[in-house]
Amino acid sequence: MRHHPSVRSLSSASFVLGIAAAFAARADSGVGVDTWRANKLDPAAGATALGCDERGTSWLVEGQHRSPTGNLYACPPPSPQPDEHGDWQGYGVLQIGALGTSGDDGNALFNRYVDWDSGLILGLLDYTWERPADGTYANVRASHISDDDEYYQATFGRAGSYKIQAFLRDMPNVLSNNAKPIWNGVGTNRLTLPSSLVAGASTAADVAAVSAATPERRLSVRREKQGVGVSMYLTPQWTWYANVTDEERKGARPYGGPFFFNYPFADDGGVLETTKPIDDATINLNGGLRYAGTTWRMDLGYSGSFYRDRYTRYTYETPFALYPVVPDAVSAPLTTGQMATEPDNDYHNLKAAFTRKLPLNGELSLTASAGRMSQNDALIAPIDCQGVFGIGLNGSLELGPQNPFLYDCSKWNTTASLSRPTSDMRIDTTLVDARIVLQPTSDWTLRGGVRLNREDYRNTYLAYNPLTGQYGYVSENGAQGSVVPGESGIFDPLAGASAITRVSSLPLDMQTEEASVGADWKIGAHDTLGATYTFNRYAPTNRERGNADDNSVKVTWVNRSLDWLTFRANATVLKQTGDRYNDDPYGFTYSIGLPGFVPPSGGVPAHTVDALRKYDLASRDERKINLMATVQPRDDMTISASVRGDWNDYDAELGRQAYNTLGMTLQWEWQPSTRTNASLYYGYDRSGLRLANVNELNASGSDPSLGGSTYPELGRWWADDRQRNHNAGATLAHDIGRVRVDANWNMLYSRGTTAYTYASSLAPAYPDPGVTGAGGGAFPSMIYRVNTLNLGITVPLMERISLRLFDIYERGHISDWHYLGFDATRVFDHRVYTDGGPESYDANLIGLLVTIRL
Amino acid sequence: MIAHRHPRSALLAMLLVIAWLPVGASDLLDLRGIEAIHGDVDAGKTKAAVCMGCHGPVGVSPVPTFPNLAGQHAEYLYWQLMELKREARPESPMTAQVAHLDDAAMRDLAVYFSSLPAAIPTQGTTSSVRGSQLYGEGDASAGIPPCQGCHGRNAEGHPLAQGDAHWRAYPVLRGQHAAYLAQRLKDFQNGKHTLSSNDRIMTPIAQTLDDASITALAAWLESPTR
Repeated sequence: MRHHPSVRSLSSASFVLGIAAAFAARADSGVGVDTWRANKLDPAAGATALGCDERGTSWLVEGQHRSPTGNLYACPPPSPQPDEHGDWQGYGVLQIGALGTSGDDGNALFNRYVDWDSGLILGLLDYTWERPADGTYANVRASHISDDDEYYQATFGRAGSYKIQAFLRDMPNVLSNNAKPIWNGVGTNRLTLPSSLVAGASTAADVAAVSAATPERRLSVRREKQGVGVSMYLTPQWTWYANVTDEERKGARPYGGPFFFNYPFADDGGVLETTKPIDDATINLNGGLRYAGTTWRMDLGYSGSFYRDRYTRYTYETPFALYPVVPDAVSAPLTTGQMATEPDNDYHNLKAAFTRKLPLNGELSLTASAGRMSQNDALIAPIDCQGVFGIGLNGSLELGPQNPFLYDCSKWNTTASLSRPTSDMRIDTTLVDARIVLQPTSDWTLRGGVRLNREDYRNTYLAYNPLTGQYGYVSENGAQGSVVPGESGIFDPLAGASAITRVSSLPLDMQTEEASVGADWKIGAHDTLGATYTFNRYAPTNRERGNADDNSVKVTWVNRSLDWLTFRANATVLKQTGDRYNDDPYGFTYSIGLPGFVPPSGGVPAHTVDALRKYDLASRDERKINLMATVQPRDDMTISASVRGDWNDYDAELGRQAYNTLGMTLQWEWQPSTRTNASLYYGYDRSGLRLANVNELNASGSDPSLGGSTYPELGRWWADDRQRNHNAGATLAHDIGRVRVDANWNMLYSRGTTAYTYASSLAPAYPDPGVTGAGGGAFPSMIYRVNTLNLGITVPLMERISLRLFDIYERGHISDWHYLGFDATRVFDHRVYTDGGPESYDANLIGLLVTIRL
Repeated sequence: MIAHRHPRSALLAMLLVIAWLPVGASDLLDLRGIEAIHGDVDAGKTKAAVCMGCHGPVGVSPVPTFPNLAGQHAEYLYWQLMELKREARPESPMTAQVAHLDDAAMRDLAVYFSSLPAAIPTQGTTSSVRGSQLYGEGDASAGIPPCQGCHGRNAEGHPLAQGDAHWRAYPVLRGQHAAYLAQRLKDFQNGKHTLSSNDRIMTPIAQTLDDASITALAAWLESPTR
C-alpha cells in the first residue's frame, strides 16, 4: 500500500542555485491563514530568517525579557540596515534555492497543507521601502514552493495615516494519496462507471477487478485566495476600514454514496465511497468605523460572507443490483444516486460596540449585533431515476394498486415534485452584551456582565409532493424502499397511512442567557485571589429540554512570593440542570403528526429509549483544576510545568456517562546567549469517555422504557474509549564561529482504544463469534506515531549572503483498523471504498538555500 | 540517494571549516550588565587635582558649559571616562585628559567625585512650565517620552539606582548646568555619541526635541524646582 519510493534529484538544482534559509517545518495548525502570510517552509512568516539581535531586547535592560508569567520572550531580530535611495530607504531579504524529496514523499500526511516539490523555489522575498520624512512605506512579500503552494502580497501606506494591502495565496490540502475511485469523472459532478461495468448489473467480483486495476491517485483540494484591504485614519481618533477577500476551492475529496445497507443483506444494497467535487467560492466583506478617544471607544462594523457552489448536486452510478427481502417480489433497477452539495449561503452581520471609561478606574462595554443567514438555492429533485423505484410485490414492476410500494420515477425525479422550488431558509441572530469592570482600589478588581444570544429559524420545509399528494424524503436514493417494502421514506395518507417517516426540516432555535460576577483581590504583594460566578441558561426549541442551566464557580490564585517562581492555580465547579427531559420532541417532523396518519396496530414505535440523555442537555457535574508553575532557576533558563484535569459526571443511565481528561506538560528552555538556545518539551494527556446504550430488539415496539419489550436489558451495551497522547520535542541552535547549526526533533504518539461489553449477543450489531451470553472485547488500538528530525547549518558567505543546508526527515507509523484488509482489496461484497486510508511513511526533504540581505 | 551523499558530505565538511573563521568584535560599550564601581576615594582626590581647573575644587564647575561632577553616580562617571577615552574626539578637551588614565585611575576619580556633596541648585528658570511638563509627562504628540522614567521624579537619578548597578549609569540631572545639558542633548541629537548602550537610548529621544524644548528642559533641570 505504500507509495512507491522515489528519489527526486536535487543535484541539478543545487549546483545551479544557492540556497536560502529554510526553516524547520513545524506543526500544521495555523499555517497559511489570512493574516499570517506563511507556509510550511517558513511557518514564522519570515521572522526566524532574521536571527537574533545580539544587542538583546532593549537598551534599558540586558538579556531577554520575560512575560508577566515568567516565560522568556523570543529574541528580537536585528534592526534592518537600509540602503538609501534619495528620500527613500530600502531593506529586505531574498531566499532562493532548491528542494529535493525522497522516500514516501507523496504521502498525504507528509504533504498536509504543503506541496513539497523537488526543484527550484523562492523561499521568501520580503522587501520594504520607507520614506522617513513622512512615514510612507511599501512592502512586497512573496514565496513560491510550487504552483499550488505560493503567496504574493503588497502593502502600501503611511504611518498614522492609511494602509492598503493586497494578496494572492494558493494553498494545497492533500486528502488522500492512495485513492482508487472506480468511476470516471472524478472532480466533476457526474461519476460514471467504466465500460467494463454495467450500472445496476455488475457483480462484486467485477467491481473488485476494476478497483484492483485502478492506479492509486491523489485527491486534493487547492485553495486560491485573493483579497484587498484598506484602513485609514480620518482623525487621530477615527479610523475606517474595508476588506474584501475571495477564496476559491477546487478539487475532489472522498465522500459517501448510499444505496442501502449491505452488512445485514449479503449481495444486496450498496455502500459506495464516491468522490465529491469541490468547486466553490466564498467572498468575505467587512468594513466599519472605529473611534478611540480618551473616554469612549466605539466600533461600528458590517461583515458579510457569500458562499457559492458551482454544483447543487453530483450524481454517481451504482454498479450493483438490488434484491427485495420478501419472496416473489422484484426490486426496481436503480442505477444512479445523487448527493447534494453545500447550499449557497448569504450572511450579513451588523455590530456596534461602545466602551466608556468610568470612575473608580472602571470601564463599561456594550455590544449589540444582528445577523441574517439565508439560503435560497434551487432545490434538487428527490431522486434521480427513470422508470420506477421501490418493490413490485406481485413480481412485476407495473404501477398500480397491486404494487403499493412501487413508485413512478417521473413523479419524483422533477423539481415539480417539491413543495417549493427553492429552499427559502433563514436564520436570524441577535446578540446583546454588557460588561463592566471596576478597580476601586489597587487591590480590588470587580467584574460583571450579562449576555443574550438568539438564533431564530425563520422557515421550515415540508416535504410534500404536489404531483402525488405524498409526503417524505425518498431514502437512500430509492434503494431502501426497493429492498424493504414500505421503507421508501414516503407517507401516503391513502395507500401508506401508517408509514412513519420524516416529512419536514427541524428548526433549532436557541436562546442563550449568561450572567457573571467576579472579583480579583490582591491579598498581599505576591498573592492574588479571584472568584467568578457564572450562570448560563440554554433555551433551545424542539429539543429534549426547554432549558438547561449551568451554575459555575471558578476560583483562581496567583502567587509570586518567590522571585524565581510564578505559580498559578484555578479550579472550577459546574453543575448543569434543566427542566423535564422529553425523550421525543421531534414528533412534529414525522408523518405521525400529519392528518390521515393511522397508527400501526402495535402503536407508534418509540422514537428512542426514554433513559437516553443527550450529552449537551444532560444534567452534569463538572470539576476542573489547572495548576501551572513557571520556574526561573537562572536568568537565562525557564522551567515550566502544568497539570490540568477535567472530570465530568453525567446523570445518564444511557448516553454519555463520564468524560474525564488529565494532562501534564514539562518544558525546559535555555537561552544563555543570542548564539545558543536549547529546549526540551514533554506533554502527556489522557482521556476517558464512557458510554452506555441499548439495542432495540423489537424495532416496531412502542414501549420506550429501558427494560421494557422494545429495549430489554439483554440489549444493553457499554463502551469505554481511552485516549493516550505523548508528545515530546527538543531543539538546539548554536553558533560555532560564524556558522549556525540547528537541530529540532518532534515526536507525537497517540494511542486510542475502545473497549466494549454487552449484556447478551443480542446487543451488538455484530456479536463476537460463538458468544451467546454477555460478552465484551476491544477494537484494535488506533496508533499514530510521527517523528520529525530537522537538521540545518547556516554559513555566512559574505556580508550580505549566507548559505543554508537543511534536512527534514519524517517517519510516521499509522495503525488504523478501519482500513485493515485494504492491501488486498477495496471491494467487500457491495461495499466499495475509494480512499486507502492513512499510511505509514518514511520521507526526507533536503534543501539548499541562499539568503541575500537586500 | 547514495550518489548524493558524497557531495553532501564534502559540502558539510567545507561548511564546518568555514565555521571556525573568526567573528568580528563589537565596539559597543554595553552598560546593561555593568558591575558596581569601586575605587580609592583618597587616591581619586589626589588624581583629581588636574580636573579642578574646569570642574571646580569640589566638583562644581564654575564654567556652565562644563558639567558638575560632585554627587554624580560613580558608575556614570567611570563609564563616561571610558567612553571619552574610546571616542578620542579631537575637538574634545577631555581627549588629552583621559588618554593617560588607566582603569584604576578612572575608578578612583569616579568614586571620589561621587562622594562629594552635590551642587545646590540655585540657577535656572523655575517657571519653565514647558520644561516641567516635558520632564514629567513628555509630549505624546511629538513622540517625546517623559524623562522622569529613567532620571527619577526629581531628576536625582533612576528610582532603582540603589539596587542594580546598571541603573546608576543613568546620570543625576538636578542642578546640572543648563548650558552643558543643552549642548549634551544637541550632541545626542546630532549623533555625536553612539558608543554606549545608553547613547543609543538617548539619541532617538533627543531627536524628538526641538531647540525650544531643549532650552526649556535644561533650564528647568538647572533650577531647584521640586
